This record gives sequence, structure tokens and C-alpha cells, in this order.
Amino acid sequence: MTTRIVPIAGKTAEIIETVMASPDVPQDETLRFKIRLSVEEIAENIVNYAYNNGNGFVEITTTLDESGMLTISFKDAGVPFNPLEKEDPDITLSLDERPVGGLGIFICKKMMDSVSYVFEDGCNNFTMKINTRK
Amino acid sequence: MEVIINQEDGKTYVKLSGRLDTTNASAFQTDIEPLFALEDPDIELDCTDMEYTSSQGLRAFLMLQKSVTSHGGKLVMTNMKPQVREVFDITGFSTIINIK
Repeated sequence: MTTRIVPIAGKTAEIIETVMASPDVPQDETLRFKIRLSVEEIAENIVNYAYNNGNGFVEITTTLDESGMLTISFKDAGVPFNPLEKEDPDITLSLDERPVGGLGIFICKKMMDSVSYVFEDGCNNFTMKINTRK
Repeated sequence: MEVIINQEDGKTYVKLSGRLDTTNASAFQTDIEPLFALEDPDIELDCTDMEYTSSQGLRAFLMLQKSVTSHGGKLVMTNMKPQVREVFDITGFSTIINIK
């Protein structure tokens, strides 16, 4: 299933619900929790930072293959940005040292089986995969 | 996300219900504003009916914990659902916030 949303300003919730309504996304509650959370963190990033004015598009594609692997991809033509280049937060820091924020992408990486990013044909492509038959 | 704050015998009980996400994180921040103003905070957040939290919710809980600690007070989160607990675990928040 592929859905294109444009413009995307303020549309984080719409992006999340688009994915959650996809027939490729299973009904299992634990899986849906992980998927929703991961999608929210990525959608939030794209909506807030991809385009300076929020006037661009995001293309969301979901596929479920025969082995039960669910793939969710996000494509936008915004500012080139690889969220995976960012270092993981240090989760062992004490309360005082712990900075507020910077956890979104890290949560997505932890919840999914794999995440990847490629800049291609002028577009950011972020892909997350999770095995739905674990 | 529903937030109900009750004061009883010097303790503050907060009942959290629903999903804490991008659509309501800033409203939630406003809802819990009174907790940042407590002089001698002793707060219990009842998470029995909290279905979900994204990183924006975590941000609010971290700020609250920092505030409570700086006031020399106590904060405890209780009855967290397993999937919500997992978010606290993977981010290391379970080691800086008291969860029972």
C-alpha cells in the first residue's frame, strides 16, 4: 500500500493513522504498539524538519512479504537528513546528566528489527522492518 | 490523555489514562504544570490506564523527575503496562525514575 500526503505540515497524526490502517499491519496489540511508536517518532521528524515550510510531500509504503516481514518506508524530498548518523543517547547517564529529548530515533531502532536510510534521486528514504511472526 | 490530580495527606496522586503522544504532549505538559510548583513533592503517578507513551511523553516525565529531585521530593510511577514499561526500560528511564 502506498499513500502520498501533501502538504505535511501538522500531519503527524494522519501519517501514523495511515500506517496503522494499512491492511499490511497486523492486529496483534504488542506489535501494533511497537509499530505505532516507531512510526510516530519518524513521522514527527519528517513533519517538523524535512521541509522548511511543511509544504512538501511524504510517501508512505507498507508491504508484508510471505515470510511475515513488514516493511514501512517513508520518502520525502526535503532537506537531506540521515537520522541514523546521530549517535545513540547514553542511557546510563544519571538523572542530572541526562539531556531532555533526543530519544525518538533511538526508540524506533530498538523497537524495529532493522532500520535503514538512503538518499536517492533527491529524496530521503527511511525504511523500518519488523518480523510479524516472531 | 486524561490527567486527574488529587491531594491527600500531603501526598499527590495523579491518575493517567489513555495515550500520550504527539497530538496531546503539549496539553499534557500543561496539565501536569501544578506538579512542578509543589513545595515538598511526594507524587504517585498511577499508570494503570496509560496505554502508550512516545518520546514526547518521556520528555515530560524526565522534566518532572528533574523538578521533583531538585525540590528534594519523591516521585513514583505505579502499575505500568508491560509495553509501556518496555519503552522506559530501553531508554534507561527505569533507572532514573522509580517504577513500582
